[in-house]
Amino acid sequence: MATSDSSSSPSSSGTEFADPNPSTDPETNSERVQSQLESMNLSQPSEVSDGSHTEYSGGDDDDDVASANGNEGGVSNGGLVREGVAGTSGEEEMEVSLRVENPVEMEAGEEPPSPTSSGYDGERGSSGGATSTYKADDVSEDEIREANVDGDTASQHEAAWLPGKRHVDEDDASMSWRKRKKHFFILSNSGKPIYSRYGDEHKLAGFSATLQAIISFVENGGDRVNLVKAGKHQVVFLVKGPIYLVCISCTDETYEYLRGQLDLLYGQMILILTKSIDRCFEKNAKFDMTPLLGGTDAVFSSLVHSFSWNPATFLHAYTCLPLPYALRQATGTILQDVCASGVLFSLLMCRHKVVSLTGAQKASLHPDDLLLLSNFVMSSESFRTSESFSPICLPRYNAQAFLHAYVHFFDDDTYVILLTTRSDAFHHLKDCRVRLEDVLLKSNILSVVQRSIAEGGMRVEDVPIDRRRRSSTTNQGQDTAVPDVSVGTGGPFGLWHFMYRSIYLDQYISSEFSPPVTSHRQQKSLYRAYQKLYASMHVKGLGPHKTQYRRDENYTLLCWVTPDFELYAAFDPLADKAMAIKICNQVCQRVKDVENEVFLQGASPFSW
Amino acid sequence: MGMASMSSGSESLRLCVFDLRRGQHEGQELDKILFFYPPDLTFSTQLSVIGLSEGLITFTRLFSPDAACEVIEAERHSHVFYEAEPDIWMVMVVEKNKEIEAVWRIDALRRVLKEVHSLFVMFQGSIRALLEKEPTGGLIRSHLYPFITDYLNDLFVGKKHQLPSFRETLTERGTVQMLTLARDAALEVQSLVGVLDSCAGTVRCHSVILFHDLLVSTTLSPDDTVDVFAFSVMRLTTNALSSGTSSWSYLRKGSVTPQISSRSTSVLPLGSGGTLPSGNGSSTGRVIRPLQHDKWSKGKDGFLVTDIWGIDATPTILIQKTQERFYLLTYQYKSLTLVLLVPTAAIVNGELDISFVKQQVIENASAKILKVEEKLSKGWGGENAYHVSGYRYLLVDNDMEVSRASPPGKVATLAKESLLALNKLREEVDTEKGRSKQEKDMEICIRAKNNTWVIARLNRGKELYMALEKASETLLDATDSVQRFSNRYCSGAFSMD
Repeated sequence: MATSDSSSSPSSSGTEFADPNPSTDPETNSERVQSQLESMNLSQPSEVSDGSHTEYSGGDDDDDVASANGNEGGVSNGGLVREGVAGTSGEEEMEVSLRVENPVEMEAGEEPPSPTSSGYDGERGSSGGATSTYKADDVSEDEIREANVDGDTASQHEAAWLPGKRHVDEDDASMSWRKRKKHFFILSNSGKPIYSRYGDEHKLAGFSATLQAIISFVENGGDRVNLVKAGKHQVVFLVKGPIYLVCISCTDETYEYLRGQLDLLYGQMILILTKSIDRCFEKNAKFDMTPLLGGTDAVFSSLVHSFSWNPATFLHAYTCLPLPYALRQATGTILQDVCASGVLFSLLMCRHKVVSLTGAQKASLHPDDLLLLSNFVMSSESFRTSESFSPICLPRYNAQAFLHAYVHFFDDDTYVILLTTRSDAFHHLKDCRVRLEDVLLKSNILSVVQRSIAEGGMRVEDVPIDRRRRSSTTNQGQDTAVPDVSVGTGGPFGLWHFMYRSIYLDQYISSEFSPPVTSHRQQKSLYRAYQKLYASMHVKGLGPHKTQYRRDENYTLLCWVTPDFELYAAFDPLADKAMAIKICNQVCQRVKDVENEVFLQGASPFSW
Repeated sequence: MGMASMSSGSESLRLCVFDLRRGQHEGQELDKILFFYPPDLTFSTQLSVIGLSEGLITFTRLFSPDAACEVIEAERHSHVFYEAEPDIWMVMVVEKNKEIEAVWRIDALRRVLKEVHSLFVMFQGSIRALLEKEPTGGLIRSHLYPFITDYLNDLFVGKKHQLPSFRETLTERGTVQMLTLARDAALEVQSLVGVLDSCAGTVRCHSVILFHDLLVSTTLSPDDTVDVFAFSVMRLTTNALSSGTSSWSYLRKGSVTPQISSRSTSVLPLGSGGTLPSGNGSSTGRVIRPLQHDKWSKGKDGFLVTDIWGIDATPTILIQKTQERFYLLTYQYKSLTLVLLVPTAAIVNGELDISFVKQQVIENASAKILKVEEKLSKGWGGENAYHVSGYRYLLVDNDMEVSRASPPGKVATLAKESLLALNKLREEVDTEKGRSKQEKDMEICIRAKNNTWVIARLNRGKELYMALEKASETLLDATDSVQRFSNRYCSGAFSMD
């Protein structure tokens, strides 16, 4: 596998640095915005010098990082899940012994000695034939608005989502770049670009300076800009110390959720670097952070992708792989043993779902940390190819300090993460893993896990229609004739999908997608409807509300928030209200019936 | 620097009008500013507000060329944008403050900007036209300043401007409130309108009739009706004339305390001459203040008189639909206010002809006016006529630009939490409406933390907002309540089947 050094060597791909001042369109270029602010003599002059590019010796000039095998992704199990990334080579190298990649730790305040000191290597060196594999992506997932066409013609493209950065050849002067539906930017408070979802950061120096100018202009007035709205566009700002995060989106998501996404993006960065980067900026305001994040494009793009398929990103809860209660308990016991030997957290994961997890006494893992951690592991190629020992930071647990993560994949989907505070614990953790693996193999747990993946989770079709209980389950007792059970497709009475979040456990269970919500586009649209519902229920200062019924041309949505749980359910837009309420009651009952299998029950002291 | 002084002083409102086509060269930035409130802020502060606005208009156009910046939400302020005419922007900056209940709905604030601009155009013509007439900008500035200041004074309560906050969430500015007529009254009104239409001989006139602060009839387009109605309720109706006593109008409450009197109309907003490239309005002649307070009174002949436009001068207004100018004559009998619009083109001999038209009205329409007033008074349910027990509602018909709502006194009985929840729901609906071009058909019922049901229903251009505090527990009960209301008061417009 590629070493981290390869990412910092100058590229021979011939990609040329752009003109440092890419303003080709004097009428609308972002430079103009700044000059307007400046012309009023009121904005701070941007600190980004035109010569800033010379500081780079390479870095992000890969053509594309998407791997060529193109077999990743596909719709299954409640969302678009990446699978089988570089599968074959991974198996061969499974037994490669200790290989701590670049085991340099960034101690607080210490300037990193090498550009990839985060001690891990992202997706590198697999760039052949990339262009052919992400074509479909252009129309389905990302994200150029088609002018005048609300074109659902692209819906048949079942988005083979590929990690990594795309459209690096674009910058703010390109129309295609401006038309992307959702941009994410990370920049420093001196206006230096750190990350951009699309386009080459170098070329976006001018644009980045404009964003910085807007933020600091408002800040100079003793205020803080949160949101700018223009037509269907929202520009969302988040300031985290010396780091500025900006999202420019026309995706119909709520401001609250977009801000939450920026927060997660920031968390992902902290997970890789810790908050001690703040001190780098204190020492040197013009500190260039891009090299530190070298090779992490896949991590960020995978996180950004999860915003449109993973409910954990807005529910702030995690989900478990459905398993027989006894098996999960057994797994928990082994993990508990591991923790007892001085490990902070032990997690057995299957893709983004938890099989079991335990923490040392009094240590608790925030669902957001879990999300960012699993995203980091899942999207980084190197974790799959060998067992790894890598410094990471859990931003919610302790944003200031690095932990050390031992990661080992048992198969393509199932992996263990052991977190410790000790930098010399590799051999101990390896021993723990070997013991764990023994038990997992003996008790056949790994194959049960595989079967569970294949079978999927709860299905709306399985929600029982108990006609006898009708009058007892609803206090309305409408004893009129039962309408046709098969209204539309999906579950009974037009039930299409549901999500149930246990507040006490901080976990959620989401039903599998059933017809008619089959295409990735439809699923994404449903999630966006849920996100709005969630935001509407959890209004700052007012909420949470108790109940919501919402019907438009696409869905009938119902939401209940109680002290114990939250239920989000989607129905056919023509669904009967009384029946929908009844079905929601039954869904709740059904989840309670199987809660021992779908949730990880209070095995460990989770108390945040 | 910047807007640091924003929080200083008791005044938390800023309102500016600027022209993006002006002041493009360095050193001439002041030229952009056509109006700024409060006028005594330093130029650098004024320029800072406008610089940020212009910067963000340009910035957002990179991504959204068709719809530039609409709002900036900052931690402590909201900046509300409205492009009143191409490249002519109005920006209102308001301070958020939960303690003093400064919780706004952006769309409601934008409607304030829209209203002040529409009224300005109705009297003075477009801003661009005035700029073209006198490119130095002195003319437009001298008109905008007193106009907007007079308008803002209507919002003055105590020492602060009372902007439409969440407490007014069950109102809709920029719409007309109608009186429901019994069949026989409707026939009488129709016949009266016929007489009024033809009282200038062969030239067709327009008329707008109000009873108290409610619209009885109009022959204008919905847009023009909204403007004339808004002005009438502000200055002409019996409630407006008895200034000082509070009006129960849905939109305009509170007493009117004229503030502009302390400042001479001749003072320009941008300080005394010299600093400005524009002439100090020397060639502009007398500036008319159409929204000046306490200037209307009822004459002996029943017509309202004012000296705003000069002694014995009749005001004219511009009708959007036809871009024609009309003389505005107002006749009042008891609570009945008749606004008669006579095309200026038809009046050859000025005030002489106007007196003739007035004479015609008195001769031909007096009897009918008497009769209409009698019928309307008899059927008049008073201020709470449109109260529906158990409901607090707002009904908006966007096509007709008409709204009806629970009386303010009744809305005031709602808990603050209910109003805030409803205000938030309206914001959500505003966003949804903004996103789709076609009319939305949607229904949202929320049971808030305090158990109030807040409800929004959109159907074929009609909107219904409701707060039900005493509804029983279930969603189905709340739905039934909406259904009954819809059937009884909205001809089933929001019924499910």
